[in-house]
Amino acid sequence: MAESAATGQSDLAVRGKRVRGLERAIATVAILFVLILPWLLPNPFYVHIVIMMAIFVALGGAWNIIGGYGGQLSLGHAAFFGTGAYVSTLLVNAYNISPWITLWIGGVAALLLSLPIGVICFRLQGPYFTIATIGLAEALRLLVLHYREITNGAQGLTVPFKGNAPLLLQFDSKMPYYYIAVVLAAAVLLITRRMERSRLGHYLVAIGQNQDAAEAVGINSAKAKGQALALSAFLTGVAGVYYAQYTYVIHPDGAFGLGMSIQIALVAIVGGVGTILGPALGAIIMELFVQSTQILFAGQYPGLELMVYGGLLVTVILWRPRGVLPWFESWYRRLVGRAERVSGGTP
Amino acid sequence: MSEILLDVQGLSKHFGGLQAVLDLSFQVRTGEILGVIGPNGSGKTTTFNLITGFYRPDRGHVRFAGQDTTGLRPYDVCARGLVRTFQVAKPFPAISVLRNAMMGTLLRHADPLVAEAKARDVLTLVGLEARAHMEAGSLTTIDQRRLEVARALGTEPRLLLLDETMAGLTLTEVSEAMRLIASLRERGLTVVVVEHVMRAVMNLSDRIVVLNQGTKIAEGKPAEIAANPEVIRAYLGAEYQRA
Amino acid sequence: MDLTIFLQALITGILMAGIYALVGIGLTLIFGVVRIVNFAHGEFVMLGMYVTFWLWKLWGIDPYVSLLITMPVLFCFGVLVQRFLLQPILRAPDLAQIFMTVGISVILMNATLFLFTADFRSVKLAYSEWVWRVGGVSIPLTRLFAFLGAILLAGLLTLFLTKTDVGKALRAVAQDREVSMLLGINPERMYLLAVGLGAALAGAAGTLIVPFFYVFPTVGVVFGLIAFVVVILGTLGSIEGALLASLIVGVAESLGILFAGSDLGLVVVFAILVVTLVFRPSGLMGQR
Repeated sequence: MAESAATGQSDLAVRGKRVRGLERAIATVAILFVLILPWLLPNPFYVHIVIMMAIFVALGGAWNIIGGYGGQLSLGHAAFFGTGAYVSTLLVNAYNISPWITLWIGGVAALLLSLPIGVICFRLQGPYFTIATIGLAEALRLLVLHYREITNGAQGLTVPFKGNAPLLLQFDSKMPYYYIAVVLAAAVLLITRRMERSRLGHYLVAIGQNQDAAEAVGINSAKAKGQALALSAFLTGVAGVYYAQYTYVIHPDGAFGLGMSIQIALVAIVGGVGTILGPALGAIIMELFVQSTQILFAGQYPGLELMVYGGLLVTVILWRPRGVLPWFESWYRRLVGRAERVSGGTP
Repeated sequence: MSEILLDVQGLSKHFGGLQAVLDLSFQVRTGEILGVIGPNGSGKTTTFNLITGFYRPDRGHVRFAGQDTTGLRPYDVCARGLVRTFQVAKPFPAISVLRNAMMGTLLRHADPLVAEAKARDVLTLVGLEARAHMEAGSLTTIDQRRLEVARALGTEPRLLLLDETMAGLTLTEVSEAMRLIASLRERGLTVVVVEHVMRAVMNLSDRIVVLNQGTKIAEGKPAEIAANPEVIRAYLGAEYQRA
Repeated sequence: MDLTIFLQALITGILMAGIYALVGIGLTLIFGVVRIVNFAHGEFVMLGMYVTFWLWKLWGIDPYVSLLITMPVLFCFGVLVQRFLLQPILRAPDLAQIFMTVGISVILMNATLFLFTADFRSVKLAYSEWVWRVGGVSIPLTRLFAFLGAILLAGLLTLFLTKTDVGKALRAVAQDREVSMLLGINPERMYLLAVGLGAALAGAAGTLIVPFFYVFPTVGVVFGLIAFVVVILGTLGSIEGALLASLIVGVAESLGILFAGSDLGLVVVFAILVVTLVFRPSGLMGQR
């Protein structure tokens, strides 16, 4: 949103400052909470849960750049996730390259993969991009399964275990993993904010509102969407690398599967597409759901978890087609309005 | 005499069985105001669409500022300095008037802060600065038209194509619009105006091109056009022409 | 390469194309009339397969006979989905619509996983192994029947759409919703009909392939994807296009399996999608 300067009336400026002060206070508390959280948790299992939350904040946030802001629904983001994971793990295994470096290589590989898809699909109007992403992820999954001499097929790849080796992105405690995941998630959210305020961010809004009008004033819509996709793919690939490093094992079905694609997209849509914090809220909700179904049913019933995902998705769509966060935001705005009245400004 | 800024040669376009534009040629000189008139369905908007890249011509060429722009996409045409407004205004409805204008200024000023400042300038030019923070979708029709012009001006064009900007305006509003267009010419802009409001076109334009059924039937100074029998026949029918 | 092997692949491809046509026609019908992209369409096929399987397993009903049951069941299912899940969001943003059908797809896939486990099921019939040998090429009868059944159903649908008033009303809504309303056609009822028919056709496709295809919860994913390629290649909303496209896709997949390997058939189909989007995104039936 273009930050408009205060109109000069002094009480408006003071009220604005008070609200912003409140927001800053909440943000500081939140950041401190996130920083000390792992020390408050009773055992490593809970730390694992919040690490997964953080990784999915990153994944959902990355998806959000093309899915929410770009308005182009990808149901195959696992293609970028899996590409990052596989490229990185293959390089680590074959050439002993440090994962700190393959983090970037995996991201770039995913970015390069996204370019032809963008070029082909974004000059078209219609559901083609969504369908193409589904096909891409499936095709990659089958190819990885097929060329098992290279990829070890259905058995998957493992990251060679080196104990505590920080230079190789391996630690024996969960704590460093947590903080790196948080940095990753925060980076994605900050990059999203930066993008939102940049020319690309504005252009994506224009394209979403009226593509013809946008093109008439010089906006190359295909190029803008392509840039959003490239950024999204890169960040997703990086998150994929990190996931592989953290879990030590990747399989074609998990890395390239439809389930992963849907999970990634779901994080953003449940939380609120096209908003910065939506993915954060979505990841938290999703991970809580995942864990509670696992606790309730102790993994006894295959399919139940995803059925709950699906049910959640359908329910959210019927109830709040734009996701949870926009509803939350309007509630928040009403709250702030009340705070302003309480602190003495005119409503 | 000034040079030719826009050169349209032999433009033709058909849709299925309908020949919308046939072998159309005309030129626009730098700094002039060219009026384009013609009965409904004579191909005026189609011509705009062809010139600005929203349609591809079947035949013919468009040269702008000495370069061939035939078949370029609208955003490339705009980047070269040729911009159009739409007959039915197309604002970005859910964002503010200011942000709408920014979408135009961002073309030449990638820094959003600079683009915002330029957007304010352009809004002031068309008289919308008081409404900068209103949602564009809630503007009145005439304000939406103003916004349309502002957004186009933000791209810092050399040639502005205005598509029936004055339709449905009151007399005062028409005069205001005429003043605005004249002031644009003062600032060095070249303008092509498609209009039905005859008073405006006749008074504003240096020259006029008349279209009928997709072809040019007359071209010249406003006074010549008003007296031209072909033109009269096209608008009013053969009986009037004899009279 | 042996000519007979090539012919064999060709014929297998053509036979399978009938099934792809049936699924594709259903999908393109739903899109043409309701303007919703149904990402759960593959799961309609899967449901048809499971219903057929259980009818056979529990009561020994022959799959071809059970068509008379699966089609109405899937029809009703489609109507319910449209009425309660799709109709409420017809005016919602595209994002919501796509995700609704994706959500339905996820629920269906995992509900069957939950209820019936991931086990691969199959049906054994007296004639499962019967093969017709014609000049070196063997045609399994079950595949032939599937093809014939699909053609029959497609033909019946075409007759319905062109010769009956209801069918014409359906086509009218697909062409121009507002004008149809002026003519007294109730679009919402037509939407119910379209989704019901689409689901019924998909379910029928599932029924017809059960004699020679494994039944498992995610079997629909492949059919859904292939249906999309068929519909895009054939032009969104065009039934003739879907027929032609399914032939191309079926044969290409079969040849792809022959030359590249049995697990890469879908990669060939994806390649067709890419080629279509690059060279002819509006599909075989041209400008819309």
